[in-house]
Amino acid sequence: MGFDLFLGCVIPARLPYLEVSSRKIFEKLGIELHDVDGFSCCPDPTGIEQIDHKTWLTLGARNLSLCNSNGGIISFCSGCVETLKGVNFNLNKDDQMKKEINDYLGKVGKKYDGKVAVKHFAQVLYENLDKVKENVEKPLNGIKVAVHYGCHYLRPSEIIEWDDPFEPVTLDEIVKSLGAESVDYDLKMECCGNPVEKSDKDLALQMIDNKFKSIKESGANCVVVVCPACYQQFEFNQRELNKKNGTDYNFPIFYLSELIALAFGYKPEELGFKFHRVRPSNLFKSINFTV
Amino acid sequence: MSIINFEFRNEVLKHNASLSYCYQCSTCSGGCPIALITNGKYNPRKIIEEAILGLQDKLVESQDPNPWLCSTCQKCVELCPQKVELTEIFTLIKNICFEKNKYPEAFYSQGNSVFENGIAIPYSNAILTRRKTLGLPEIKTAPIDEIKTLLKETNFEKNILEGIK
Repeated sequence: MGFDLFLGCVIPARLPYLEVSSRKIFEKLGIELHDVDGFSCCPDPTGIEQIDHKTWLTLGARNLSLCNSNGGIISFCSGCVETLKGVNFNLNKDDQMKKEINDYLGKVGKKYDGKVAVKHFAQVLYENLDKVKENVEKPLNGIKVAVHYGCHYLRPSEIIEWDDPFEPVTLDEIVKSLGAESVDYDLKMECCGNPVEKSDKDLALQMIDNKFKSIKESGANCVVVVCPACYQQFEFNQRELNKKNGTDYNFPIFYLSELIALAFGYKPEELGFKFHRVRPSNLFKSINFTV
Repeated sequence: MSIINFEFRNEVLKHNASLSYCYQCSTCSGGCPIALITNGKYNPRKIIEEAILGLQDKLVESQDPNPWLCSTCQKCVELCPQKVELTEIFTLIKNICFEKNKYPEAFYSQGNSVFENGIAIPYSNAILTRRKTLGLPEIKTAPIDEIKTLLKETNFEKNILEGIK
C-alpha cells in the first residue's frame, strides 16, 4: 500500500516549509508516501486549463501515467487534486479524446490507462481520523480556528466526490480531533479569491478583506487551509491589504498539516514556522499556549 | 450593435451541449462571488446568454463581461438547476480568447513557464538551499524535451510562441 506523492509546483518551489509538516505527519501515522521522478506541473486548473484545455489533459494524463503505487496518488494541494481527478473524469467519459491524448503520449513512450486513484491529503487524514487522534500528544487548547475549505477541495462534487460541496464537515472534524475549536463564520464557504489575482488584483484583495472581516467577527484567532493558493492569498496578501486599507488583520495562517504536526508534539523550529509572514509565536504567547 | 457569429456558437455547442439547457434563471449569478462584489458587472448568466446567441465580439473581443474574472469556485456549476456546465463553457471561451491573444498577462507567463520548464514555478537557488536546510529531498521534475514534444502536439507551443509580445 502507500501513495505516490504528487507535490505540484507551489508547495515545493515556494512554500517548502509546508511540505515539511505534511511529510512528518504521514511518517508519524505510518502511511508511506513515495517520491516519484519526472512529474510536471499538474497543470494548474485555474491557469493552464483556462488557456488550453487539451494541454491540461495531456500533461495531467502524463503525470497520472507515472504512478504505480497501490494507493494511487496523494497530493498536498487542492488544485493538483482537482486537475488529476478532473483529467480522469474527462478522459474516462470521452474515448475519442482519450485515444487522441494517448497518441500524443505514445510519442514520449507513455500510456494513460485511467485507473489511478487520486486523493487529497486531508481525505486520507480523515479516513485515518482514529490514528490521528491516537497520536495527539499536545492538544491545541485555546486555538480557535476559522476553517477555510477552499473551492477545489470540494467542487465540482461530481469530479471531487468527497465531502459535501456546500456543507462540508471533514476539516472541522480533523481540527476538533486535535483539541482545537472550529469557529463558525458567515463567509466560511466563500472563495479566497486567489485565482482572480491573475486578472484583477483589487478584486482579489476585496475578496480576502471580506473573508477576514467575517473571521474577525467570529472570534477565531487563526485560519487553517488545505490549498497552497488559498495559503498564499491569506498569508501574503494580508499585509498588503492592511497597507492598502489601513486594516489591522493579524491572523496566523496554518496549513492543516502544521496544526496536526504541532498537536503531534513537533516543535515550531522543526516545522519552519519562522517562514510565516504572520508569526504564530505571537498567537501562542497571547493564549498561553506553550510549545 | 452585436453580430451573431454562428460558427462561434456552434463551436461552443459542439464542445458542450449543456449550453442549450440554460433558461436564464440567474441562479448562477446569485451564487457567484465575483458577481456579488462587482455588483453584477461580472455575471455568469450573461456570459452564457452571449454564448447561446453566438456573440463572439462581446465575449472574445470586448470581453463584456470579462470571462477571465471567473474565480473557478465552481459554485455556479453546483447550483445550476439545468446542469449547465458553466465553468467548462467559460474554459472554452477563455481558450478561444487565448488563441486570439486576448488574455491577462499572468496567464501567459504561467503558460510560458510551463512551456520553458515543465513546471509553473521554477526552483530558485534560494529555495533549493532552503529545501536542503529543511531536510527535504531533491526533486527531479519532468524532462523538458518530453514536455516540449507534447506541447508541440497540442498546439500549445504555437500559441505560446505567437503570444510573445
